Formats: sequence, structure tokens, C-alpha cells
Amino acid sequence: MDVATELDKMMHRVAEIMINELKLEDVTPETFDPDIDLVDEVGIDSMDLATVALVLRDEYAVRIDEDDYPKLTTVRLISEYLLKKIEAKV
Amino acid sequence: MEAKHLTHSTPKPDTGAGEWKFSDLIAEPHVRERWDRVRRYFFLRESTYDMTNRCNIRCEGCYYYEGEKQHAHEVGDPEKWRSLMKSEKARGITYVVLAGAEPSLVPELLTVCHEEMPLGAIATNGLKWIPGSIGYKIHISVWGNDDTSQRVRGAKQMLQRQIENYRGDARAVFVYTFTPHNIAEADQVTRILAREGCKITFNVFSSPVGYTGALRHTESSLRQTRQAMLNLLQRYPETVLYSHYNAVAHTHHLGLHALFGCSYPRCNPSTDIGLGRSFRQYRTDLNWDRDAACCVPDTDCRDCRHYAAGSAVVTARLFRHASEPDVFASWLDYVDTYLAVWVTGYDKGVNLCQRWVAPPGHDLF
Repeated sequence: MDVATELDKMMHRVAEIMINELKLEDVTPETFDPDIDLVDEVGIDSMDLATVALVLRDEYAVRIDEDDYPKLTTVRLISEYLLKKIEAKV
Repeated sequence: MEAKHLTHSTPKPDTGAGEWKFSDLIAEPHVRERWDRVRRYFFLRESTYDMTNRCNIRCEGCYYYEGEKQHAHEVGDPEKWRSLMKSEKARGITYVVLAGAEPSLVPELLTVCHEEMPLGAIATNGLKWIPGSIGYKIHISVWGNDDTSQRVRGAKQMLQRQIENYRGDARAVFVYTFTPHNIAEADQVTRILAREGCKITFNVFSSPVGYTGALRHTESSLRQTRQAMLNLLQRYPETVLYSHYNAVAHTHHLGLHALFGCSYPRCNPSTDIGLGRSFRQYRTDLNWDRDAACCVPDTDCRDCRHYAAGSAVVTARLFRHASEPDVFASWLDYVDTYLAVWVTGYDKGVNLCQRWVAPPGHDLF
């Protein structure tokens, strides 16, 4: 499988979950900039990230450790983190 | 009111991490309703502010008169406070805690803060009424019955005067601080407050740095405190804003930091997200020091069981509590309590879990 494709798919899904769970307006998974800073520019905080982490845990059966939240500041970083965790399980 | 219990009968879903799926944890309608209710307040971002270095009483073990902050000069110009509130709002703060030493002595500053920042709480000894136009929650400190208050706070008929000021005031929550020596008095105080239609929540004395006095808790006094809290919660459910899990979190032999990992800047070097990023504790000179920043500065972190600390520290640990139904329900009860104590207009719901549940990764005591 093409790594870039896998990452693109994951970023799309993470963006979709973010939009649904956090009720983000004026953005779609297609227009969500994967490199936008979620804390500085979107206004997401630790409770929001924990909520998203729980939905992602359900979907991919991987944990996003609380200690890792600070470094997961973009959709791309979250997606790469998840793919690494999934790959480590296989 | 009768409590609803979680009745999950389906097999434990496998998330691959030995935990319930979150979607199953919130599948029951009453849990889902509570989750949806509390998550509406995830936007709260707090900071705290010392308003004046004056107080009308002097209490043994007072946090304010420990350390350096008591020596900061006062900024009494309301417009400087208005400017501060505006800049706080601009950096994302949505909730203010006005404390130290006695905020009721500077109502003109409280008014300005409230005009700029509508959500917040004031920590007061309750001896001077705060005008009703200031719509913050008002936390009135109680350290025992009137005999004890006179002895350790030097104020006569304290509870009676506090009640006279705040009877029937929806803003008011009486905060009873348990020390090893006033555990038995909590019943008398709660009975009086129940009779007067007031609300009470609980705090646990947490030693200031270097404090070696008799108010420091022991394992024995913590166990007694936990049982006293439960007794009062069961006897006065309409009066006591608390839950089983509140009692566990605040009377564990380990402090809050050891149990949950305190996320206030003083204990948390990260500035990327959460309290480590946004929280500040302003002194009366409107300066702040990251190294000292937490909700009750100069508390000994190893002994911290403060109700204000828990409100942020336990609440922030959503992920680790989303493991099984009773643990998650306990966390929801804790957050529900926190919101009822701190947010104007939020009413406490029935506790979802009415049994002892240990903090994740720890024993019950």
C-alpha cells in the first residue's frame, strides 16, 4: 500500500472526526488543512483532544497517551502517530 | 431522588487496549445525557487573580500569607483591571477565579472583572456581602463550627454571619475545609446549612510549603474524612454538592499530583496545550510567575488535595477514566460536581455511581 495514500486517508478521517466531534464550522475534511496548528489556530484544548482520542481509540483500537497530547498539534501529526501505532500492532 | 446505575450487560468490547469502547460507555441514555451536558463546558479556560493583599481576618494555615505573593503591591485602579481582563480574554481565558486575600474588600474591582469576563468564582470568607450584580459563584470558606472558627480564624459567630449574608443566594456555595480536628463538626455545620437552604461542598486542608502545624492530615484523618463526607452526602443529598469519587480523589493517601499528574504550570513544564499553556496566577500587582503558578500557590504539592486543584486536575484526565462504566460514571460525577460548584446556573445532577471507585492505576486508599 502506498504510504502517502494511507496517510491521506487517515488525515481525511481524523479531520472528519474533529469536525463532527468538536462541531467545527466552515470546514470540510477536504478543506481541512492538515498542517494547521490545532491549538493556536483552531482553538482546540486538551479536553477536546481527549474526546477525539477516545473516538479514534474506538475506531482504530489504539491509545493516544495523555503524555503525547502536547506533540499532536496538527491533523498530520495525529495521523502519522496513529499509523505508527497501528503498524506497531501488526 | 433515586440514582440511576449503569446496567451494561453486553460483553466488554475490545478496543485492543483492554478497555470498553467509548461509544459503548456513553450508550446508555442517562450517561449520554450527562456526557453531552458536561462537555458543553469544555471551553472553560481558567486563570486566577489575587485581588488585594488585605483581609478582614487572619486564619491559621492561610495560603495567601505564605510565600512572597503577600508582599506584592496592590493595583487598585479598576481600569487597569479592565485592561487585564480584556487581554486575558484575548489570549483565550474564559473563566476567572478571584481570590486572595479577601476579594469582598474590593467590590469595584470585582465589578469590572465581571463586566469583562462573565464566568468565574470568588473565594471569600463571607463576612462582607458581595453585591448581587456580580454574578460569579461565591465560595464561602468554612473551617468548622463557630467555636473552631473563633479559635483558628479569630472571628465570632462566623457561620451565622456568613449565612445572613448569603441565605437564598444562588451564587453561594459554602466550602467546608476538613482538617484533622474538625471532622466531627462537619455534621453540625451541614445540618445548619441544610436547614437554611444553602449548598455546601468539601475541601481538604492541604499544607502550605514548610507547614508543620497540627492541621496537616494523617492517613487516619483522611480515612475519617472520607467516611464523614459519605455520611453527609447520603444524609443531605439536596445540600451537599459532592460524589463518592470526589471523596476518593481528595482523601486518598496520595495527593492529587501523585494520583493524576497535576497539569498546572508549577508542576507541568509543557506549554503546548491545556493548563500548562494558558493558566496564570496573577498577584495583586498584576504580574505572574510561571514557576509559582497553580490554583493555590505555596501549597506543598505532595500534600495537595485542594478542591480547586482537583476541579482541573481530575477533570482533565478524561481519557484515563474512559475505561469501564463505573470509572467513567465516577468521572462524570466529579465533573458534574465541579460544574455545579463553579459555574453559575449549572445544577448538580444525581450521581451516576454511588459506590467507591479507585482512581485509575491506584488502590482505593
